Amino acid sequence: MAERLTNREGVKGMINPTRYGIERFAYWLQRLSGLGLLAYLIGHIYETSTIVNGKIAWNQMLGLTQTPQGHIILVIVIGMCIFHTANGIRVMLGHGGVGVGKPGQPEYPYRAASLNYKQRLCIWVSIALAAFAMMYGAGILFGD
Amino acid sequence: MRESIIMKIHYGTALGAVVLVAIHILFRMTQNFSESLQYQNVIANYHFLPYALMLEVILILLSVHGFNGLRVILLELKQGIMYEKAINYGSIGAMAVLIAYGSRTILMAGMGMS
Repeated sequence: MAERLTNREGVKGMINPTRYGIERFAYWLQRLSGLGLLAYLIGHIYETSTIVNGKIAWNQMLGLTQTPQGHIILVIVIGMCIFHTANGIRVMLGHGGVGVGKPGQPEYPYRAASLNYKQRLCIWVSIALAAFAMMYGAGILFGD
Repeated sequence: MRESIIMKIHYGTALGAVVLVAIHILFRMTQNFSESLQYQNVIANYHFLPYALMLEVILILLSVHGFNGLRVILLELKQGIMYEKAINYGSIGAMAVLIAYGSRTILMAGMGMS
């Protein structure tokens, strides 16, 4: 039992994205972007609730959020949203058995069929889509 | 509830939210972004019943998806009967509070109580 507990890395293990390749990095980014989006959702619901306090309260809130810093946060949220969506669809399809390869005899060099080029490509596509969306969003937000 | 059913709900809420959030964002882009955030425009959005209903559905889908995601992360970190119970009920409670608070805004703004 004691040995099992000492082997447990807890939060430290979860926040370390460096081991096990790009799949682990995607797992880490998925969780990080999920937490970021949940924080944004709570903030967004609070932010929009000021509308019930009238025009002055709403404009005061806009004065706080419609700033260059607020726009940078929004651009990051756009990136998190697109990555989380695209990578989430990959994970969903993977759970359904789509694109994970066929099970077979383990043979040298023991490459897991599930971690194939299709999966890796999808992760890179998710990152690229997020980057494009961030650029597009930045163009709209800072172009105003 | 079985975890397999919870994951189906997690994926279902995700797919639903993707479609509706896309519509929500497109609404902001029907005009200039900063113009769309003007008080009159936002209030007009809330007064438009189909849009207000869509906001309510988005609120429910994202709250369920978000807090279930948080629950999964927290359960991956640590296990134990009491801990798991606290996390499960805590996330349901947080979900309910967020939905109630967001619904209050939609209802009050939609009925002109601002």
